Amino acid sequence: MTVSLAVNKNTGIMKTQVLTQKSSISTLSLLTLLMLLFTLNTAFGQTNTDTPTTNERVIKGLISDENGPLKDVNVRKKGARNGVVTNEKGEFTFPEKLKTGDVLLISFIGFETQEYIIGTETTFVSLVLTEAMIDMIGALDANTPYRSKRKN
Amino acid sequence: MIGQSHFYGQVSDFSHIDFKKADSIALSLSSERLTNLPELSLKLTEHLDTDVERFRAIYRWVCDNIANDYSLYLKNSRKRQRYKDDSLKFKAWNTKFRQIIFKNLLKRERTICTGYAYLVKTLSDLANIDCEIVQGYGRVSTTHIDKLNLPNHSWNAVKLNDKWYLCDPTWASGIPNPETNRFKFAYNNGFFLTNPKLFAVNHFPVDSTWWLLNDTIPTFDQFLSAPVIYGNAYKHLEFVDQPRQMHHDIKKHQSLDLTTTVKANLNKEDLYLLVDNGIEPKKVNLSSINIEGKQLKFSHTFDKIGFYDVHLYIKNDLIATYTVDVAQN
Repeated sequence: MTVSLAVNKNTGIMKTQVLTQKSSISTLSLLTLLMLLFTLNTAFGQTNTDTPTTNERVIKGLISDENGPLKDVNVRKKGARNGVVTNEKGEFTFPEKLKTGDVLLISFIGFETQEYIIGTETTFVSLVLTEAMIDMIGALDANTPYRSKRKN
Repeated sequence: MIGQSHFYGQVSDFSHIDFKKADSIALSLSSERLTNLPELSLKLTEHLDTDVERFRAIYRWVCDNIANDYSLYLKNSRKRQRYKDDSLKFKAWNTKFRQIIFKNLLKRERTICTGYAYLVKTLSDLANIDCEIVQGYGRVSTTHIDKLNLPNHSWNAVKLNDKWYLCDPTWASGIPNPETNRFKFAYNNGFFLTNPKLFAVNHFPVDSTWWLLNDTIPTFDQFLSAPVIYGNAYKHLEFVDQPRQMHHDIKKHQSLDLTTTVKANLNKEDLYLLVDNGIEPKKVNLSSINIEGKQLKFSHTFDKIGFYDVHLYIKNDLIATYTVDVAQN
């Protein structure tokens, strides 16, 4: 590169001219260096990114039992009232954006209620619900007066 | 821990609390379905200040909205008896039936005992109230005690203010009609946080943790030998003091002596016996009733030999039955 200085005799303004030679390697190096610096600056200096960290995002999921997808399962945000129900394919999309640390309450009658904590990387919740393991029994109360068996 | 006797309670612990608000909340939500249990639990409890009231709203809602299904009960009883010696088939039936129960519960709000107990527990869990399902044996006037070899009933235990209490939502709910399979809702408050001593007369838990008694617990034989008591016993009585067994062998001119502790003061006329000799029941007005506060002592003398079913009534409600075999001197 050569730099020449010239003074305009009429205006008196100094003009600097940078005369560049066609040096591809050096220009590219400079440009690459500049771009690299720019990218690094962007990555570390920002507070607003699109990658999942604590920030709100849409959560989807699939709820099933041991036999396959479950429909009508309640998916609710713990401590709040909003929620959604799974469709015939067991799928859901939570109606509001959720953030890391939010807890989902997944419930359906006859199954153990489960809680799911949204992690930093979570975007899809896949759960298998287990049945409430209870013996089913039933005795009726009766108002019919007791009658002894008699040998009449 | 549950083993300590001073942690057991009964409804009189809450005599200072009026359950009207809880009951009216439960009533206002009678059109709610079981499709969203967390929401139902929240609606039942969010406007109540104490755990006992929150539990009361849940319990009342279940009792007043879930019907007892006689045909499901019958089907299940038969299958359980049939498979009781084949553990694989028994387990397979239970798994299948459980799914039927939950489908029915969701769709038709009809169920059998365990369904009631499950709902009370689940709704309580969602409201952060400690509540358990208790499995065991329930004995009623129509129970064939010679065939009572499998647990046949479910109820609940609930922890309120660090004390455990018993309740029976199924029997509190009403009476099924075996012939029509129609269910009549008729809430009986006697099964809410019941005196464990009364509860123990016809509820025998599989897990002995749930007796909640300070005295020695009955053996299974003692349980089977106890008097038959009816739903209205829970309405009127605090306890059946004497006799502790159903059957009595006496001689002519001897008497059957009874002692009961009632919840509310009674007049002498409110109490009578129906003595059935197998041909014709006869109403007997009691000649001498000794009333000491809430404790009533009375007796009936048998002057003829025979075998008698003796039914105790309070205000025309059937309370208990004893059997008396009167022999020659």
